[in-house]
Amino acid sequence: MAFDAASEYTTLVSIASETGGQGASVGSADAVYVVVHANKILASHPLPGVTIDATEKEDGIEAFITVDDGVVLSKQVHLCFGHLGTEGRQVITSHVSIGARARATFLAHCIFPNAVEFLHAMEGDIVVGEGAEFTYNEVHVHGPEGRISVKPVSRVVLHDRALYRGDFTLVEGRVGDLDILIDVDARGVGSRVELTSKVYGKDDDQCRVQDFVRLNGAGSTALVKAKVVLRDASSGLFHGLVEGAAAGARGHVDCTEVIQGAAKAEASPVVRVTHPEAEVTHEAAIGRIADDKIEGLMAKGLDEAQAVDVIVSGLLR
Amino acid sequence: MTHALLFVEDVHVEKDGSSILRGVTLQVRPGEIVGVLGRNGAGKSSLAYSIMGIGRYRPSRGQIRFDGEDLLPLSVTDRARRGISLAWQHPARYEGISVRDYLRLSSQRVTEGMMEDALSRVMLDPPYLDRMVDKSLSGGERKRIELASIFLMHPRLSVLDEPDSGVDLLALGEIMTLFRTLSEGGNAVLIITHREDVAAACDRSYLMCGGRMILEGSAEAVKRYFLSQCSPCTELEPEIVKEVC
Repeated sequence: MAFDAASEYTTLVSIASETGGQGASVGSADAVYVVVHANKILASHPLPGVTIDATEKEDGIEAFITVDDGVVLSKQVHLCFGHLGTEGRQVITSHVSIGARARATFLAHCIFPNAVEFLHAMEGDIVVGEGAEFTYNEVHVHGPEGRISVKPVSRVVLHDRALYRGDFTLVEGRVGDLDILIDVDARGVGSRVELTSKVYGKDDDQCRVQDFVRLNGAGSTALVKAKVVLRDASSGLFHGLVEGAAAGARGHVDCTEVIQGAAKAEASPVVRVTHPEAEVTHEAAIGRIADDKIEGLMAKGLDEAQAVDVIVSGLLR
Repeated sequence: MTHALLFVEDVHVEKDGSSILRGVTLQVRPGEIVGVLGRNGAGKSSLAYSIMGIGRYRPSRGQIRFDGEDLLPLSVTDRARRGISLAWQHPARYEGISVRDYLRLSSQRVTEGMMEDALSRVMLDPPYLDRMVDKSLSGGERKRIELASIFLMHPRLSVLDEPDSGVDLLALGEIMTLFRTLSEGGNAVLIITHREDVAAACDRSYLMCGGRMILEGSAEAVKRYFLSQCSPCTELEPEIVKEVC
């Protein structure tokens, strides 16, 4: 399958807009965006107050993105990474800095609709400045066949009163072999972390989700939530760690895994407290979709597979 | 006599080693609202599940026919596609699904206006369309939404399991009007209830006890018998009485 740069751009943006993104913002003058196919930067559009310094590497790109102090972005920054081929690798290295009191939302679309044997790795470090708010939503779109290895690693540092919301979603197509790690150092006083991961494994997909938050700042708080649905012969492991290491630190880690068919799930929510005035709680549940939920929808004329899809789409919303 | 839309004959169901339906026979004709009255544990909900085809309530003996067709080989889905639907006593809750999306499952042709009309018939306002069908709804609200969903489906046979539970008495008259609408155009309604006033509002009623139908007749006569013999219960294993008018 051969694509030229124009069709790569059009296809990636089109898929992004069909899968919950704001594709219309790509190409518009008042939005920040970057579009990358394999290791080619197809588009890069900064705005005053936002700097993008991206370089093409042998098997991907490296990008430095900076939002200046006090800059409030009304439109989300759209990062569209993808590959339309069946084989290959793409490594995205990113360095994101959100200035003090700035406010920004990034949407990273990772689009691999035809991938069969593919590695998609992301190495990201994120620094959220004092009093800043940063939301990072990562949505993956994979094809219905084949295996893709997805290895996203994010290391986040929060300064005083900074807020970081991270939302990882991989529910479209095959998960393949997923190994995601998010490691947050909430070192700032009164900083806050909200992490949500949603994954839908099928066939023989393997899903490994690791969310670590270290509440090192006094009064820092964290809420870590994971929802993993596994069907067929897929398997899933959730490892969540919240460490309360400062006075007044509060955290909660919550994992729900739902299995159907021969799927296997394991949840390991770990809480660690190393300061006497910190408090961290956890809960985890692994179960099947209750028969009455499935039958309730079948009584409306849906077949069993359709009923499960409706229930799962609600769970992962 | 009009042919039966639903024909249940000598149905036996065993569950967990116990006999929970013991030779149930019942008919529902087009245009009828038929009540099945009985105390808790009589087997009423088991009968509803058996008609709908829920796997754990598959009959070991007897027959269930719908418009002449044998239902026993059919799945829940196939029965629903033939025109049977069940409003559950305790409708399931679905995380992340809005009332709007839930009602849209009832019919592909449903419009926003149709959904608002259906909600108004169960005394819920349009803003409910944006609520989630999860634990944020009370049992009564969830019940009303289930009835609205059934209304939008226009099934040929609505099986309503304790439709009055969670719905306050003031609303009962309105709910009965809804049931009457469901039975229009040759459709029919089978109401499972433990309340004699609900059964009395039906066209005909059956009285169920110990997994058997012990009485069939006019709604008023069944109500009278229920009040005199079943409230409180006078016999643990009553004989089948007769048909009363």
